[in-house]
Amino acid sequence: MTHRSMLRKLAVLTIGAMAAAGASARTEIQNKGSDTLVNAAQSLAEQYGKVNPKVAVAVSGGGSGTGIAAMINGTVDIANSSRKMSDKEIKEAQAKGRQPVEHVIGYDALAIFVHKNFPTDSITVTDLAKIYGRDGGASKWSDLGITIPGCKGEIVVVSRQNNSGTYAYFKEAVLGEKGKFRQGTLDMHGSKDVADLVEKTPCAIGYSGLAYVTNHMKALCVAPQVGKPCVKPTEQTAFDGTYPIARPLFMYTNGEPTGEVKKYMDWIKSNTGQCIIEKEGYAPAKKVSCK
Amino acid sequence: MATANPTMFQASDLNQHNERVQRRYQLLFGLMTLLLITPVLLILGTLVVKGGGAISWEFLLTAPTDGMRTGGVFPALLGTIWLVTVALLLSVPIGVFAAIYLSEYAGDNWFTRMINLAIINLAGVPSIVHALFGLGAFVLFFRFGTSILAASLTLAVMTMPVVIVATRESLQAVPQAFREACWNMGATRWQTIRRVVLPNSITGILTGVILEVSRTAGETAPIMFTGAVFFTPFLPQSVFDQTMALSLHLFVAATQVPGMAEEIPFGVALVLIALVLTMNSVSIAFRMWLRGKKKW
Repeated sequence: MTHRSMLRKLAVLTIGAMAAAGASARTEIQNKGSDTLVNAAQSLAEQYGKVNPKVAVAVSGGGSGTGIAAMINGTVDIANSSRKMSDKEIKEAQAKGRQPVEHVIGYDALAIFVHKNFPTDSITVTDLAKIYGRDGGASKWSDLGITIPGCKGEIVVVSRQNNSGTYAYFKEAVLGEKGKFRQGTLDMHGSKDVADLVEKTPCAIGYSGLAYVTNHMKALCVAPQVGKPCVKPTEQTAFDGTYPIARPLFMYTNGEPTGEVKKYMDWIKSNTGQCIIEKEGYAPAKKVSCK
Repeated sequence: MATANPTMFQASDLNQHNERVQRRYQLLFGLMTLLLITPVLLILGTLVVKGGGAISWEFLLTAPTDGMRTGGVFPALLGTIWLVTVALLLSVPIGVFAAIYLSEYAGDNWFTRMINLAIINLAGVPSIVHALFGLGAFVLFFRFGTSILAASLTLAVMTMPVVIVATRESLQAVPQAFREACWNMGATRWQTIRRVVLPNSITGILTGVILEVSRTAGETAPIMFTGAVFFTPFLPQSVFDQTMALSLHLFVAATQVPGMAEEIPFGVALVLIALVLTMNSVSIAFRMWLRGKKKW
């Protein structure tokens, strides 16, 4: 057999194998969006593979904005978002013939991360606004009367990239509807990046979901204003709404879900699904008791 | 002339000076070369030291479990092989044929010069721009969806210039006299290309393919929007499926998953490099075998 005919046979075989494989049937659910939710979504998809092996849930991150844009463009079945879709986005989706339906699948406390040398255990939302807000007034920790061992200069203000739902929610909750972030924040592309940076930087302060707190940092107890008692970020305080910067986590479907997507959404809202969300460090959307 | 002048073979001052200068430059160039390979050795060393512990058959052949914190990389490994293979099947024939046309058939006029310029510019386009092009063209316009096909097409467009340039260079390295000799025997242009030019330039073409494999396997941006996902429980079965990929998995493992053991991202990087080296060594071996047959 010559090399040429061998090569030809190989090509035919490859293409044939690809075509044959393509014929087998299975359902794929496209799930995309929030980087905050991506690990929970991955765990859900992984476990659901065991429950219903005929359905593959493909998960991608990118940020809440990415997920919502994909929902508007019709390239996903379920969009994950750590913020509500804005009216403008809903109108845009409707203009393209899609009807986004909101599902609350859990709650997340936005923990305030600081270096483990940080002298106190609490902070007020007022002080956070001073640190994060444009013209907030605090650029050094000494401006707030705080001295951190190992930190001399300015506050290292760690934030998120602007298509992040965490970014949008933090802005709304701490700086108000019309508030603006100060300039010169370090905008990280993921909650874990925020955590990694704050762990290593004595001057730093950052924020991210409770699920990203590690043992090498402090997650501060947050008081809504000066003089009020502070509340620790926990799954419980996120669920009952006492923690001042907790938010619902959303999944959006196009219209009321049907078929396999409905089965998947129902499973997420069931005890099994909710317990996975709790295990990933978020508060479940309803009271469940998990092992 | 019974006795030779004793100083005749002694080095003059000028000779010694030249010798010193020569040594100095040799040392300088040597050091530069050493500097060149230092990052390579450091990278490989770090990966082996930090990621070596993660590597096992189980790591290579099982899917990630427990929220990607344990288990292996098999779906990502397989996905990368799919993406690279399909991209090669798409870009190598087109790239090689285009290069043959440009080098062997086309005349030197404003049109071919413009095409050459376009190819060079295409090579300079940042990969994220290719990613957006792929999203717009293949995912949305041609409705391939986010799939291996869309991702591989994007990669193929991105790496096409590498194949074209490498092929054209190696075609042009074949001496013109070879072609003329062949034509004078009455052979047609195609017969000349098929029997004389291609066999003598195949090694150079393979070099282009090697470069393409490395670039294709390592790219993250172009596949992120077009076909690769953070996680999917299924292995790809056709070009219309989505897939995990090693490069994206590395990005995810390093930046997105809390509580990930440090050795896992390094292990993923090691697997990626090993995969590229393996794929390349096959074509390098083939190239050496062909070179051994070369008659000039």
